[in-house]
Amino acid sequence: MNNTPADRSSEPLLQVQDLQVTFKTDLADVRAVRGVSFDVYPGETVGIVGESGSGKSVTNLALMGLVPKPPGRIDGGQVWYDGQNLLELDDRSMQSIRGHKIAMIFQDPMTALNPLMTVGQQLTEMTRLHLGLSKSAANDQAADMLELVGISNAKKRLRDYPHQFSGGMRQRVMIAMALSCQPDLLIADEPTTALDVTIQAQILELLRELQEKRGTSIIMITHDLGVVAEICDRVLVMYAGQVVEKAEVKELFANPQHPYTKGLLRSLPRFDQVTDSLYAIPGQPPDLGNLPAGCAFRDRCDVSVEQCSQEAPELYSLHDGRLVSCFVAKEEASNA
Amino acid sequence: MPEAQTSDNQPLLQVDDLKVHFPFSRGSFLNPERGFIRAVDGLSFDIAEGETLALVGESGCGKSTTARAIINLVKPTSGTVRLNGDDITGLDDKSMMQHRRVVQMVFQDPIASLNPRMTVGDIIGEPLKIHGLAKGKDRKLEVLRLMDLVGLNPRFLNRYPHEFSGGQRQRIGIARALAVNPKLILCDEPVSALDVSIQAQIVNLLRDLQQQLGLSYLFIAHDLSVVRQIANRVGVMYLGRLVELGDSESVYENPTHPYTEALLSAVPVPDPELAASRDRIRLRGEVPSPDKQYPGCSFADRCPLVEDQCRSERPEHKSIADEHTIACWVRQ
Ligand SMILES: Nc1ncnc2c1ncn2[C@@H]1O[C@H](COP(=O)(O)OP(=O)(O)OP(=O)(O)O)[C@@H](O)[C@H]1O
Ligand SMILES: Nc1ncnc2c1ncn2[C@@H]1O[C@H](COP(=O)(O)OP(=O)(O)OP(=O)(O)O)[C@@H](O)[C@H]1O
Ligand SMILES: [Mg+2]
Ligand SMILES: [Mg+2]
Repeated sequence: MNNTPADRSSEPLLQVQDLQVTFKTDLADVRAVRGVSFDVYPGETVGIVGESGSGKSVTNLALMGLVPKPPGRIDGGQVWYDGQNLLELDDRSMQSIRGHKIAMIFQDPMTALNPLMTVGQQLTEMTRLHLGLSKSAANDQAADMLELVGISNAKKRLRDYPHQFSGGMRQRVMIAMALSCQPDLLIADEPTTALDVTIQAQILELLRELQEKRGTSIIMITHDLGVVAEICDRVLVMYAGQVVEKAEVKELFANPQHPYTKGLLRSLPRFDQVTDSLYAIPGQPPDLGNLPAGCAFRDRCDVSVEQCSQEAPELYSLHDGRLVSCFVAKEEASNA
Repeated sequence: MPEAQTSDNQPLLQVDDLKVHFPFSRGSFLNPERGFIRAVDGLSFDIAEGETLALVGESGCGKSTTARAIINLVKPTSGTVRLNGDDITGLDDKSMMQHRRVVQMVFQDPIASLNPRMTVGDIIGEPLKIHGLAKGKDRKLEVLRLMDLVGLNPRFLNRYPHEFSGGQRQRIGIARALAVNPKLILCDEPVSALDVSIQAQIVNLLRDLQQQLGLSYLFIAHDLSVVRQIANRVGVMYLGRLVELGDSESVYENPTHPYTEALLSAVPVPDPELAASRDRIRLRGEVPSPDKQYPGCSFADRCPLVEDQCRSERPEHKSIADEHTIACWVRQ
């Protein structure tokens, strides 16, 4: 858990408003992100969890200006950072922000690392460009960063190519790369999936220290609810391209509101015992290229009512400041 | 969890003293430095029919390399791999072909293992085609069945890998591995890119298939809660070797090697209140390097219990309970 509470009285560092992203495919227009809004305050860690394919990566790629166009298309929304709408910046201005002010740890290290360049070349490229380091200073810093993320013999391994590293080591190379320019906002997309739990704990501690020292904000996308519990202040839950619930981390775990969130928490495997048949949310997520009317979760929901198939719920604000996109949860909260 | 169908005859897979050393040469032309990365350094284990053995351990300790060496994607430096009693160590692609129906692999890095120019339908159908198992309409029906099995919308049949999210790609890899009805699947982090609900679905699926078809799995994963749900036995690796191997229940209830203890204590708990208050064993000291040779125990430098002997002599595996061995001077 975070011991330095984020300062939410100040202005948000980043404001995402009604973001919409669509991919044009032969079959249909895939509506990957359908009106996502959230704020990130200085020094805060916002977790994003949710269904595989629900638009977590695309949301964050969009705010980095990295959605491939075509087939991708930003259909609407704004991303405010430092007084500018990032969606309107030209490539050059965006490049000076990317990696420097806002850095991203990509979900798939093999697509983000260049197989033909040594790890050292890739680690020093950004720091030489953005921080103006000399070649040898950049090399020293790169070796320090690799050591920080737990790669031994770092000076020598700078000369290796990505394929000579293990899956988790590549992931750590990306973490080192993202941290090396000391960004104000770090977007970490599944940064620890390939790491064992001891190294994962070390990385989470590194992020926490960074946050304490520099007030870095973090967007943490992860399927690992243990990681969410350890490091996040607030959490967004995504389903089918939308945010369906927003809550403080403690409240989300203690008192989930949206039926999808409840199902997700119920699906968690136990560490201390073997369960005969693991609970999984029944059914399949909707096709984002052919969305039904009404709530996108209703076919899989065990509390849905008539209204759910007729209109789509908005993100309602409950009395205790929580946000949930569900007619039933809203009704229950107002009766309570 | 399904009981392993133990049979008296030989194990399905036997790995004996497997070593994979990667030669490297770094440095400049005038000042070259050569050596070996000892990715896998003397690994032995069996997998019985219908059994799941999980391999867990530090990132970079050689789990993926072990799996790749078993199906000859990298050439073992020494040791033997037997499948159904046949020595398959170091077979070339052609001779390996007939064994590929028996053993399949789900790769850790889905995007790197899927051909970007093939549609999902072709990717999943390819093994059916290669092994001449189904043609035309039958093949398509079988592909659709497999997609449904792993929770992929059949409408995605003609889409390309880059049009999918990370977790969806992982499921394409699982469907492809299942296509030929193998006896053994080497699963390298098969569920780590998936949300917990789909993860549960896949774990249930793998367990069901095991019960119906007597499948065996080598299951590589970092998520120790998932491992608990699927493994009959667990092997804990550290720097190319097993340090603890045993019945799953026994290892989880009585972790005995100091590295296993540290590992199990570091599992993050999905509870913000508990997460704040809990103790975990922190590993100090430098992470050891696979390009150095350690005469003693490779964990010695980071071990809280280290004694003199640990640095000079390598500990062998000794039994500490039924079906449970460790390699540690102090705890044996
Ligand atoms: N290039 C593309 N063309 C078509 N569809 C795409 C493309 N990229 C992403 N999509 C679709 O957009 C949706 C959102 O994808 P995204 O990668 O954001 O999911 P995610 O929430 O990050 O999932 P995961 O947890 O599996 O990584 C998915 O349904 C995916 O199939
Ligand atoms: N082709 C290669 N050339 C040189 N070294 C390699 C090669 N492949 C792997 N290695 C090295 O071998 C060691 C073991 O790698 P491996 O991928 O087997 O680890 P792993 O246990 O799967 O790790 P992770 O949990 O991070 O995926 C690492 O030090 C890695 O750098
Ligand atoms: Mg993603
Ligand atoms: Mg690996």
